[in-house]
Amino acid sequence: MTNQIIQAILLGGYYALIACGLSFMFSVMKIINLAHGSLLVFAGYLLWFFAEHYHISPFVGLLIVIPVMMLIGWALQAFLLEKSARGGELLPILTTFGLAIVIENLLFEHFGANTRSLAPYIGDLSWESWELFSGFYVGKTSVYILIAAIVILGSLQLFMKKTALGRQIRATAHDPDTAGIVGINPKRASAIATALAMSTVAVSGLALGVRGVFDAYSGGPQLLFAFEATIIGGVGSLWGTLIGGIILAFAQTIGANIHPQGFLLGGHILFIIILLIRLILAKGGVGHRLKFALGVSK
Amino acid sequence: MKKINKTGISRRQFTLSALVGGAVVAMNPTLAAAKSDKKLRLGFISPRTGHLGAFGETDPFVLSQVRQALANGLTINNVNYDIEILDRDSQSDPSRAGQLAKDLINNENIDFMLATVAPETINPVSDACEAAGIPCLSAVMPWEAWYFGRGAKPGQPSPFKWTYHFSFGVDEFYKTYISQWSLIKTNKKVGVMYPNDADGNAIRTFLKPKLEAAGYTIVDPGAYETGTSDFSSQIALFKREGIEIFNAFPIPSDFAALWRQAAQQGLTRQIKIAQIARTGLFPSDIEALGGLGNNLASACYWHKDFPYRSPLTGQTGTQLCDLYEAQTSKQWTQQIGACLSLFDAAMETLKTSIDPKNKVNVAMAMRKLNVSTIAGQVDFTSGPVPNVASAPIIGTQWVKSKKGPFQFDYLITENATDRNVPVTHKLTPYNA
Repeated sequence: MTNQIIQAILLGGYYALIACGLSFMFSVMKIINLAHGSLLVFAGYLLWFFAEHYHISPFVGLLIVIPVMMLIGWALQAFLLEKSARGGELLPILTTFGLAIVIENLLFEHFGANTRSLAPYIGDLSWESWELFSGFYVGKTSVYILIAAIVILGSLQLFMKKTALGRQIRATAHDPDTAGIVGINPKRASAIATALAMSTVAVSGLALGVRGVFDAYSGGPQLLFAFEATIIGGVGSLWGTLIGGIILAFAQTIGANIHPQGFLLGGHILFIIILLIRLILAKGGVGHRLKFALGVSK
Repeated sequence: MKKINKTGISRRQFTLSALVGGAVVAMNPTLAAAKSDKKLRLGFISPRTGHLGAFGETDPFVLSQVRQALANGLTINNVNYDIEILDRDSQSDPSRAGQLAKDLINNENIDFMLATVAPETINPVSDACEAAGIPCLSAVMPWEAWYFGRGAKPGQPSPFKWTYHFSFGVDEFYKTYISQWSLIKTNKKVGVMYPNDADGNAIRTFLKPKLEAAGYTIVDPGAYETGTSDFSSQIALFKREGIEIFNAFPIPSDFAALWRQAAQQGLTRQIKIAQIARTGLFPSDIEALGGLGNNLASACYWHKDFPYRSPLTGQTGTQLCDLYEAQTSKQWTQQIGACLSLFDAAMETLKTSIDPKNKVNVAMAMRKLNVSTIAGQVDFTSGPVPNVASAPIIGTQWVKSKKGPFQFDYLITENATDRNVPVTHKLTPYNA
C-alpha cells in the first residue's frame, strides 16, 4: 500500500507537468487549448528526431526544442488565437480543436505509424531506480519528472507574482483594454504568455517520451489527463495543478485497486464528482455556475 | 483523309497485322497464351496506416515482388491470364475495410479477394465476400477469432462457402509456450497481463486453462484497460507471488509503460522468461524499449530462416529479406513472408481451379488446396475446422546484435509447431 501511495504521488507529478502549459494558458488567457496534447506529442517527435538523426541526447535536445516551441507558441497567439479570441469564448476552443486534428495528421503523414520513445537515447536511465527502503523502489525518471513539475510550477508562480512582465500578463488577462491604457502592449503580453506555456509543453514532450512511447495520435489521452488535473486543482492556481495531478493519480490508483479495469474510470469519476460539487456550491444562474465549476470565473 | 480508329492504326493496317499476327499465333501456342486478353482481378486489403500500420509497412515491397513475378501473366490450364492486383489500405479500421471490400466487389468486379492482418481487416472483408459470393483467402490472425468470431459454432458444419483462412490459433500458442518455457528451469509460476480487448479475452478464455492443465501456476491480476499509465498494483502482486515467467499480450504503448515500471520496481530481476505477444513482432517495438528489449522472448508466424521457397517468386526467405533490407535499409519483418505466402497460396489456388474466372471453381479449389508456400504448407484438407488451415507459431528471442547493422537480431529458439524450421539460438534467461 505504501508503495502504491508513493507511485501515485510520482504519477501525479507527471500529470502536473503535462498540465502546466494547459493550466497556465487557461488561467492567464482563459483559453482551453485543445491542441495541447498534439503539441506535446509534436515536441516529443522533435526531440526524437534530433536524437535519432543527430545523436543529440533528448535533454540537450530541449535546448533546441524549447525555443522552437516558444516560437510556435508566439506565432499561434499572434496569428490564430488572438483573432479567434475576438469571436467569443467558443471560437478559440473550436480553433484549437481543429488545430489538434491538423497536427495529428501531419505527424502521421510525416513520421508514419511506428511507435517512438525517447528512452533508448538516455541509456538505462528510463528504468533505473532508487531503493527507498527494502522492497520499495522509485524510478529515477519519475522522481525527475516530479521535481521538474515542482520547479516549473514554482518558477511560473514566482514569475507571475514578482516580475513586471508577469504583472503585465496578469493585467492583460484581467482586462486587456485597461492594460492598454496604462501602457502595456496586450498583444505582446499574450504572445509571451503563450510562448511560456509552450516552453513547458516541450518539457512535457520529453517526459512523455521518457516514460512511455508515443505515436501521432497519442495526444488525446495526454490532453484528457492534463485537463482533469487542471480542473481538479482549480483554475487560476498553479500549485493547485500539482495537487490536482496528484489527486487524479490517487483516484486512478484507488480505482485500480477496486478493479483492475478501474484505473482510468477512477480518475474520470473523481473529476465528475468534483465538477458536480462545485456546481452545487456555486451561486447564481446556470451559466455562471458552469463557469464557476470549470473555474473560469472566481 | 484516312479513317483512323481509336488506337491510331488505319483499318487496312489493322487487318493486315491481325492476319499476320493470327498466322504467327497459330504457329506458336505459347505466344497465343501471352497475347491473350483474359484478365483476373485480385483485391488485396491490408492495414498500411493506423495502429496496425507497422504490419503493412512492407506490403509495397512484397507487392512489387509479386507484380514482377506476374509480369508475364499466369498460365492456368494452358491459358495465360493477366493478373491485376488492386491493393487497398484498410487504415486499421473495420468499417473502412468493409467498405473497401464492397467497393472492390461491386465497382471493380474482382474475381478473388485477399486480406491480411488482424480481425479489424480480415473479418469485415471476409463477411463482405461471403455475402457477395466472392472467393476470399486470408491469413495472419488467430483462426478462432476468424471462425467462431464470425458466427460458426463448434461441432456444427461450417457456415462459410466462399471464405478460407490459414493462420495460427490458440493451440499453436499453447504448444509453442510449453516448448519454449521448458527450455529454462523455472518455478513454473507465470504472471500474465491480458488486456480487456478481443485478443486478451480470447487468450484468457482459451489459453489460460490449457496452461494451468499443463502444470503452470497462473497469477492473473485481471484484465486491464488499454491506456492505463500505472501498473504498480499488478507489479506488487507479481513480486509477492514470486513469478519467474511473464506472459503478456499488450499493445506497444502499454507494454513500454508496464515494463519500465516493472524494471524500476525490481520485478524484471526475477523474470527468467518474458514471453511477449503482439508487441515485439517488429524490431521498432523492441528498439523503443532500449536495453530492456534485450532477451525478450517472442513468437513469430514467419521468419526469414523458414526453409521454404516461394512458388510464385522462387525466392527463399533469406533472399527475400536481404533484398528488402538492401532496397529500404530497414530491418526485415515477419509480415514480408506472411504476406507473400498469401499470394503464393492464392496463385496456387487459381492454378488448380478448373476455370479461374468461375467463382465456384475458385472456392472449390481453395477447399482442396494443399500447397507449399514461403511460410510452409497450407493445407485446407486437414485443418482443425472446415475453411481453416493451421499455420505454425515459432518461439523466438530478441537478442542485441553483435554484428549489426540493426540493433537486435530475431533468433529462433524452438520449433514445436513446424519441425522443419531450424533452431538457431538457445533461449537465454531474461535476467541473465
